[in-house]
Amino acid sequence: MKNLLHGDFTDKAVATSVPKYYGEALVALAQFDPRIVALTGDLAPATESDLFRDAFPDRFFTAGIAEANMIGVAAGMARCGDIPFVHSFSVFLTRRAFDQVAMQVAYPSLNVKLVGFLPGLTTLLGVSHQAIDDLTLMRVLPNMTVIEPAGASQTAAVVRAAAKINGPVYLRLHKAREPITNTAVEKNLEVGKGQLLRDGDDAVIFACGYMVAEALLAAETLYLSGINVTVANMHTIKPFDSEFVLKQSIRTGVVLSAENHSVIGGLGSAVAEVLAERPAGVDIEFKRIGISDTFAEGGTTAYLFDKYGLSARHIVAAVHDLLERR
Amino acid sequence: MELMASAKSIRQNIVRMVSRNGQGYLQQGLGAADLFTYLYFAEVSLDIHNPAWEERDRVFLSTAHNSALFHAVLAERGFFEHSRLETYTKDGSELEINVSERLGSVVEATCGSLGQALSVAVGVAQAAKRQNRTFRSYVILGDGELQEGQVWEAAMYAASNSLDNLCLIVDLNQLQVEGHTQEVMVMDPIDKKFQAFGWAVKNVDGHDFGALSAAFNQARSNRNVPTVILAHTIVGKGIPFLENQMSHNMVLPADVAEQCLKALECQA
Repeated sequence: MKNLLHGDFTDKAVATSVPKYYGEALVALAQFDPRIVALTGDLAPATESDLFRDAFPDRFFTAGIAEANMIGVAAGMARCGDIPFVHSFSVFLTRRAFDQVAMQVAYPSLNVKLVGFLPGLTTLLGVSHQAIDDLTLMRVLPNMTVIEPAGASQTAAVVRAAAKINGPVYLRLHKAREPITNTAVEKNLEVGKGQLLRDGDDAVIFACGYMVAEALLAAETLYLSGINVTVANMHTIKPFDSEFVLKQSIRTGVVLSAENHSVIGGLGSAVAEVLAERPAGVDIEFKRIGISDTFAEGGTTAYLFDKYGLSARHIVAAVHDLLERR
Repeated sequence: MELMASAKSIRQNIVRMVSRNGQGYLQQGLGAADLFTYLYFAEVSLDIHNPAWEERDRVFLSTAHNSALFHAVLAERGFFEHSRLETYTKDGSELEINVSERLGSVVEATCGSLGQALSVAVGVAQAAKRQNRTFRSYVILGDGELQEGQVWEAAMYAASNSLDNLCLIVDLNQLQVEGHTQEVMVMDPIDKKFQAFGWAVKNVDGHDFGALSAAFNQARSNRNVPTVILAHTIVGKGIPFLENQMSHNMVLPADVAEQCLKALECQA
């Protein structure tokens, strides 16, 4: 019998081996930095940390299915000078182990990197596995840096960026299902700086993660009807580039946020906070695209995005709606 | 004899510190005073002039509320002047009622949220092994705290990874907020539970320095398994009219505090 591949729980299985951009980036980094260690909670293949396990068996630790303890163990290692990269699904790192992350990682500002997979509605595994509030939970913690790259092309850059930060970082990652072909997104990024991907005067869409591609698709459609929108990749949810958001918002006057996450507490809230404190007399129309304060269910990403209002067509409709309000 | 003198001085300071506030964690402080005295004066390697010394033994205080005792021990050990104890629980003071690492490196982690310290101590022990360093990782838990599930996650991890540089001390004073531990939650047999989790277990009288010495020495010589010392302590120990009075947060009026100090003075 031939060697069967591990599935990734993101969508329907693909028959061929999928690339492991995150796993490769971590191994590449760890070759030059012996302080890097990795922990997983029984999810090495699904979090691509199996590559690290095979390359550095002495620096790899499995904590079993026990996330609260895993966070504490990582904190202890960091207190001894290690740089632990801790792997699980986003929902378990953030919601399940929240107090441990708050007290043992964020409060002492330890050099622990939390690496979560299956963001938002990108999984078949259903409500228990869908991280729809992880950005909220990590963003509210003092000392925490929160990053969600715009797809696989930026994964290597965020891994390097996270390692350079001397403090806690939450990485929200989405596994690539096929080799990178999309070149619309610059592969490098500067932490804490909004990234302009497309320029237009009629509206601005602030997007993160998986929604960057949806926003770019929407921008193409809008362009065909004569509407030019700016698309910005807000890969760093915290510290938030408020100056950039304010500038682009004032310039266009029509603002949309788009996230694969609840509309409460994440990117949309971060934008709303900036807009609420804008200078007097500036007129801005604003709407948040995201999961509307509801739990979802298991399904394919395309199905769930369509059902819960995260698809490019929803973004297009929202921009039209905002423009009509003016 | 020196240990007894230190423990007596520490108990006197606990009474003074709690009395200034009118209430506090008096009973558990008096109860664990001998245990802490042995640990800090006879067992662990620390440098009072350089608390951040990289090769120091690590001591995690999971019972972070046992803070009158902890701060009194640090002062007695010479980490800071006794006069600083007067700031205990005062606004702005680093000597908080739940011990905080605002105080500096001598506080290895901030553990007021119960059940977390063993995991951090496990991480330290694991890192020490990987880095071939010889310091040991100690952690003090309360018995009520064993009700937290994370403790047992950490216990499994420690045994699975043969962390013989880890020493857990459970302060078995049978006291938690709602009363006697056995009445709140049946936890016995605690020793058999740890044995089943793959630990070396030693029951010991937490007021007997000789027995504590033997237990810690045994822990140092155990190979490939973590050790738990189940230290049986008596709340209010050292002040006859307080012994076995089950109060988690005792009100201590000035006149009673005076009687406490007199009773301690009468001790050998």
